[in-house]
Amino acid sequence: MIIQVQNLVKRYGDVVAVDHLSFEVERGEIFGLLGPNGAGKTTTIRVIMDILKPDAGSVTVLGQSPGQMKGHVGYLPEERGLYRNLKVLDTLVYLAELKGVSRPAAQERATALLERIQLRKWGTRKVRDLSQGMQQRLQFAASLIHDPEVIFLDEPFQGLDPVNAERIKDFITDLYREGKTIVLSTHQMNRVEALCNRILLINRGRAVLYGHLAEIKREYAPHAVRVRAPQLPPDVSGVVEVAQDNGAFNLTLAEGADPQDVLRALLDRGVEVLAFEVAPVPLEEIFVATVSGEEA
Amino acid sequence: MDWHKVWVVTRHEYATNVRRVGFIIMTAIVPVLGIVVLVFGAFFAGQAQQLGAFFEKQFEVGDAPIGVVDASGYFSSIREEYQADFVPYESETMAVAALKAEEISKVLVIGEDYLETGRVVVVSLGSGFSAAAVSDSETVRAFLVDHLLEDAVDPTLRKRAATPPDVEPRVISSGGETQGEGPWGFAFTFIIPYFLAIFLVTTIFVSSGYLLQSVAEEKESRVIEIVVSSVRPVELMAGKVIGLGALGLTQVLVWVVSTAGFGSGAVALLAVAGATSIPMRVLVLGIVYYLLGYTLYAILMAGMGALGTTMRESQQLAGVFSFFAAVPYMFSGFLFANPNMAFARVLSFFPLTAPTMMLMRVPLAEVPWVDVAGSIVVLLLSIPAALWAGAKLFRVGLLIYGKRPTLKEIWLILRGRD
Repeated sequence: MIIQVQNLVKRYGDVVAVDHLSFEVERGEIFGLLGPNGAGKTTTIRVIMDILKPDAGSVTVLGQSPGQMKGHVGYLPEERGLYRNLKVLDTLVYLAELKGVSRPAAQERATALLERIQLRKWGTRKVRDLSQGMQQRLQFAASLIHDPEVIFLDEPFQGLDPVNAERIKDFITDLYREGKTIVLSTHQMNRVEALCNRILLINRGRAVLYGHLAEIKREYAPHAVRVRAPQLPPDVSGVVEVAQDNGAFNLTLAEGADPQDVLRALLDRGVEVLAFEVAPVPLEEIFVATVSGEEA
Repeated sequence: MDWHKVWVVTRHEYATNVRRVGFIIMTAIVPVLGIVVLVFGAFFAGQAQQLGAFFEKQFEVGDAPIGVVDASGYFSSIREEYQADFVPYESETMAVAALKAEEISKVLVIGEDYLETGRVVVVSLGSGFSAAAVSDSETVRAFLVDHLLEDAVDPTLRKRAATPPDVEPRVISSGGETQGEGPWGFAFTFIIPYFLAIFLVTTIFVSSGYLLQSVAEEKESRVIEIVVSSVRPVELMAGKVIGLGALGLTQVLVWVVSTAGFGSGAVALLAVAGATSIPMRVLVLGIVYYLLGYTLYAILMAGMGALGTTMRESQQLAGVFSFFAAVPYMFSGFLFANPNMAFARVLSFFPLTAPTMMLMRVPLAEVPWVDVAGSIVVLLLSIPAALWAGAKLFRVGLLIYGKRPTLKEIWLILRGRD
């Protein structure tokens, strides 16, 4: 395990921000840390980053206490900014040195990263001269400047235009392929679905969903199939309701009906099946249903 | 504490702030003033006496003669050497008519009872300032004394009575050494160290102000969260305090060197005798109080700077400390008269006023050793307490966005866990 959090508690006065939270992050995965605003995500990340001290519970990063592993962890915070009057290259070098990288190595790494985020020629310019999108790419690069093993990305797509958001998504995918462990906190569920292996959904500081994304989606999937075909006969065996949706049919299955039996029944009745799938459930629906259920 | 990270922050703070336009201007003030003094000195080289006469003349009563209406009988017959400057009139009406015609600059009306009362009415046109200046005019005083004593005393005695004493300040320490001799020596011994002390106090404000600005800017730009994910807040605070303290010392060094250099140059050019260096006691104690004062204020400023959500809020919060530090300034007039007065001594033992109060007292007099030792001990004890509170406020305050904490919340921060 790269990160182990056990019974973590963090309070602000009388408010319990994180309430006996436990989870683990495995090496080389993209782990989604999800939750509504004020759920305790950022507080949890800050404790793991050793910015805040826990009131109870334990946290280990790469088997050590968070304070000892700062040089191995990268962090793109939700509340982020840069030194506006500092030069682009100097900014990266300073932040790398703070992470314990030697000055020559920091300069080499900063130059390479600027090349990678297509800001090489801006290295000697001041940060304030960069566009918003460029600054966000630079912030992203700053979280990687010391070549960390684990990277925390808190709302990395926030405020990005589609082009820059896609660039960051590709960057995250590249890091995943390189074997980095990524903890991704975002409200953009489509990004989580596209990127994450496992997720933790927290609400009011407590874990409400935790596990492999595919398993969670399977668990929450409605008892339904989605069929693309020119037309469907009436009274298909095992189907209780048929609804048309965007050129396809959503078939609600009877209790105990097997989707494979329904497919066989359709083919037996001569239906030209162009596409057939167990109806997926968007993560967003699971998120809303779970959080609403918690708050009801 | 990771001292390498402290060093990285120190170097960053120094390098970033040493290029600030405000810092460069502030640092250049003393050398530029020194150059002005040198140029001025070169221009008037060997003419110090004329220089004095020049200034003296600026305070004289004016070029036009003065009308005299005398009822006492002592000034009716004006002596030859005063006839160019004083014109007798028989009546006040005639004198005033001459004044209106601008034949004379003012009228002295001397009553019958002048000998008993000394009362002289001065009539002038327009500003009352020139009439008031008559009382300090050496020419008028000499005119009055010379005529009163006319034939009664020896001319040398009469001349001495008519002109004020030529005061030459000479101050000795309790050990008996002469500290300042002659007006220029006095200036170099007391005034220059005093201004150096004022500069030191200013540097404390400027450096701790930069610290406040640095913290507030990092917080306002939101870069702080990235920084504290890499260094512990106490390391960040230490780096900032050391880096900006070094920046302040650089400023002081430039000032001291230029003061000494240009001071010597000015003395040589003006060809006057006098001390040319800042007394070692003032220099050493000045640096000690500068370091202690800066450290105390910087820690407090860092803590308060972290609490504000914007630069302006941080400055408002830190204002309370600036007020205390400025209290000795408010009493500088009294301090000049008596640097060891009870009130000044009391404020020398209060941590927030001690550095500035002692910096202002030390150049002006020999401060009792108990005040020096006591104030240093108070500051040495206050710094760890400020560090404890400042570090706590700094650590928690850094992550408070959007809303300034209330006094109750600040108290809870100080009592609670990070």
